[in-house]
Amino acid sequence: MYLIKKNDILQIAKALSTEYQVYGPVIEPGSGQTFFEKVDDVSEINLSAPIPAAPPKHIVFPQADRILSYRYAGGNAPVEMKPDFKETPKALFGLRSCDLTGLQCLDRFFLGQEFVDEVYRSLRKKMFIVTNTCVAPFKYCFCVCTDSGPAAEEGYDLNLTDIGDNFLIEAGSAKGKALCEKLQLAKAADKDLAEKNRLVDKSITLFESFSTESKAWVSRVMNRITTGFAKEEVWEYVGDQCFECGACSFVCPSCSCFNVVDTATGDCSCDRLRTWDSCSYEGYSRMAGGHNPRKPVEDRRNKRFFCKLSYSQSKKYLRPGCVGCGRCDWVCPGDIGMPNVVKYIRRETTSRDQL
Amino acid sequence: MKQQPGVCTFCGTGCGHFMQVTGTAVERVFPSQNHPVSKGRLCVRGWNIHELLNTAQTINRPLIKKNGQFADASYEEAIALLVDTLKALPPAAVGFLASPRSTNEEQFLLMKLARAVFKTNNVSLSSDAGHRGCLNILSRGTGMAGMTGSLEEICKAEFLLVAGSDITKQNPIVGSEIHLAAQAGAKIVTIDSRRTQIAKLSNSFLQITPGALKLAVAGIAKCVVQDGLIDSDFVRSSTKGFEEFSASLTQLSEQEITAKTGISIEEFKQVAKALSQAKTAMAFFSSGISGLDEDTISYIFNLFAMTGKIGKEGCGVNPITGINNLQGGYDMGCAPDLLSGFQSLSDQAAVKKFNAAWGVELNITPGRSVSELLAESPGQLKALVVIDHDEGLIRDAAALQKVDFIAYISTYKNKFMDYAHMVLPVARYIAEDGTFTNTDRRVQLSPKKLEPQHNVLPGWKLFSRIAEKAGAKWSYAGPAEVMDEIARLTPTYAKLSHKKLAATFGGVQWPCDEKNPDGTRRLDIKAAGSSISFAKVSGAFAGPAAGKDFPYLLMIGKAQDFWHQNNLMRKTFIPMREYNATLLDYPEGYVEIGPDTAKALQVRNQWQVKVVSPYGEMLLAVKISDDVKSHAAYVPYFARDIIAKALTGHPEILKQGEDATIPIRIEKV
Repeated sequence: MYLIKKNDILQIAKALSTEYQVYGPVIEPGSGQTFFEKVDDVSEINLSAPIPAAPPKHIVFPQADRILSYRYAGGNAPVEMKPDFKETPKALFGLRSCDLTGLQCLDRFFLGQEFVDEVYRSLRKKMFIVTNTCVAPFKYCFCVCTDSGPAAEEGYDLNLTDIGDNFLIEAGSAKGKALCEKLQLAKAADKDLAEKNRLVDKSITLFESFSTESKAWVSRVMNRITTGFAKEEVWEYVGDQCFECGACSFVCPSCSCFNVVDTATGDCSCDRLRTWDSCSYEGYSRMAGGHNPRKPVEDRRNKRFFCKLSYSQSKKYLRPGCVGCGRCDWVCPGDIGMPNVVKYIRRETTSRDQL
Repeated sequence: MKQQPGVCTFCGTGCGHFMQVTGTAVERVFPSQNHPVSKGRLCVRGWNIHELLNTAQTINRPLIKKNGQFADASYEEAIALLVDTLKALPPAAVGFLASPRSTNEEQFLLMKLARAVFKTNNVSLSSDAGHRGCLNILSRGTGMAGMTGSLEEICKAEFLLVAGSDITKQNPIVGSEIHLAAQAGAKIVTIDSRRTQIAKLSNSFLQITPGALKLAVAGIAKCVVQDGLIDSDFVRSSTKGFEEFSASLTQLSEQEITAKTGISIEEFKQVAKALSQAKTAMAFFSSGISGLDEDTISYIFNLFAMTGKIGKEGCGVNPITGINNLQGGYDMGCAPDLLSGFQSLSDQAAVKKFNAAWGVELNITPGRSVSELLAESPGQLKALVVIDHDEGLIRDAAALQKVDFIAYISTYKNKFMDYAHMVLPVARYIAEDGTFTNTDRRVQLSPKKLEPQHNVLPGWKLFSRIAEKAGAKWSYAGPAEVMDEIARLTPTYAKLSHKKLAATFGGVQWPCDEKNPDGTRRLDIKAAGSSISFAKVSGAFAGPAAGKDFPYLLMIGKAQDFWHQNNLMRKTFIPMREYNATLLDYPEGYVEIGPDTAKALQVRNQWQVKVVSPYGEMLLAVKISDDVKSHAAYVPYFARDIIAKALTGHPEILKQGEDATIPIRIEKV
């Protein structure tokens, strides 16, 4: 454990920038919206910025990514094929705990199963992760319900906590420790850790009531979804409100579904793109020949929540698929963000006046 | 790799987004969290707009058709051909078809090019009937030729009427605002013949007989009068012409209303009561290529006027434009009889102002719209300039083939190019600054994000080059100067500039003038000290009725899998897959019928049937659905080619677009 003066915190980012492309929370000046993006200069990073509008998923899993390009002129001409892997060392500076958890879910999906996804691996390799403890939650946050915050517990190289005049720095890896030693940071005392723990405990008390109320219910709803005890009518109620925009999947730190398309670029050349996909789309589960096992929208919605909350899916991630960031709630044109769906299942009501 | 703010350019909602651009490609798109209209939401189209913007199916250089084949040409060569051809013709033989997708600056310059350079008033958008009708009613009734309410105030309305619009599919974020208002306690009433998503989300859904929307609205108005639910103070102090409207309703009998709409008078009474008891209320209906007819809009307008729901906070009669800059197109005067800002060519002072500013003598005889010119026989149209257009115009293929010269100006390739004699490319909208005016009069600046590809010219520059070749002295340094000219000549845009728009996150709603330098959120009758005039109504409700030979009423509508001819959707991956899913299941189109009808006909899903109408017949697959009532049938708009073929010789029916109701019988094949 180390300490650094609050005003000096970006020195760590600066040190990282010699070896890594640095990404961090940046506030877009016109709109006040926070993005987690690559910075040209570490001074752009704002550690007190609100939770980024989008998770850092796009860094390891871009919205539309060329993974291969090929050229075939026809006849006996050989097919020229070039995989397009991008392996650049990256430092994610100031990641929120929910987003680190999301990244771990993606790791387990893309790297932790029978097949390793080489495209993902190339983007995920050589990464230095610096997390930032949320000493106060944001409006939509409910990570206290999903065991993913407000402070990161594992998976980081360094974890920062704003404890007043200083940041407490916890090293979570040899790499992280080496950087602190190199920068000759002051050692922290037990009281500094105690102060961090006090702040985290306080942060937990500051969550909105929908979040604190749902705490026990998220696990109970997991049980109901797994055992099939969520009522059909609830899914219909949820399905009626789905605008099939795909936003919930796109902003979800752990959603990993993708579509692969070949797109002609002229001159007998083709780019193979991997793009984000969403289970809310009808075409997502449509099979060749027209059969669609999840054609009605309520079946597709049911799939999303099954994926995020059922036990069998949790085995894939070694935790629930939901990380409690609340983004699906504010991007949803309907009213079916995760906390609301938990509420609907919990109340088991479908009539409008009862809700 | 910075996030650059911008405006989504699919529908008329005008959602805010951010784009991350690298080189010539858009890497990603993300909703704008604090945008006043979209508040962090986008629909399936908006989330995937980068797929369209990155498509390789763009027009990359000028093309001139020689011996039936397009050959590459230089801008000089192509512009010279265009100018020489147009100049050699009498102005009345030249037509300009503006695009509701172009920026305001491009629309204004096209209008100026037509009137001031080529001396013709034959300039129009393709939605003569739809949005223009709304603007006529609203302009006559309130003096404001645009939505009287504001999308930002939907959350303040206690009562929301959705009239015949599949709004969650057409303008999803407007639909979302309506739904979220309902979740917070507002009452939604939907009147439609088909059970749409918004119908499922409504507190009350009046599933009317196809073709009976106007009568249903009149029925509610009648109940308002009968049950003494009129806002008398408002009617007395702020309106004119109520007696005439009220008198027209007395001719309606309750029996007729119920018989023709299929809805009991009790249900209408309940809606009338809820509307008049609510402190605030808004009406929504689609307006676009095929929106409601003027008479139906008049009834909606009058219903809201008599209940005091216009010109106040949380209130309004709100036409929702289907395409991003349709409102802007009319604002910029792309209509045969209008100058910018809904100033009429018959307004001498306005014409004088334009004459002085442009150094010309404008022809003040209104022109004709391109659809009128194409419908003429024998046609006098010899040359047609078409900007970025959907393929819908191809339904006039026979008329188009008779036009000697067609120039097509667009960013993306489409089938319309086949009809053109020359093609000129314009840059993608993200390659130049430009403003768009959404459905609630919100003018937003979409800043330039990258350089045009293949050295293609942006619209304002192309139109300037054409004007200069034709001998005019245009000297705009960029779109900002065009906006300055728009502001000088257009009272509703008087205080707008790119500088102001760049500094105002989320845009400015017109009128933006000396009195309202920050724009005007909504019509404010009290502040304006003005009054509302009731619209004239026909009192005629004769509609197509089902009979012995043709027992079902067919309606035509926009299915979810179809969005404005799909020309743009076809150039994407995810939206194309979504929008084509139904097409793949039903490649030859389908007719949707209720389970009762299917049982009576003894047909099952995907079986082929013959749909016979008095005008013609067509073969379609059956789709059984709970969303249509017995004795009704629905054909999605995407089967338009099939419908058009079946209706050949009956353009009057086809022209009614989504409002067309056709008595049919269905025969098992």
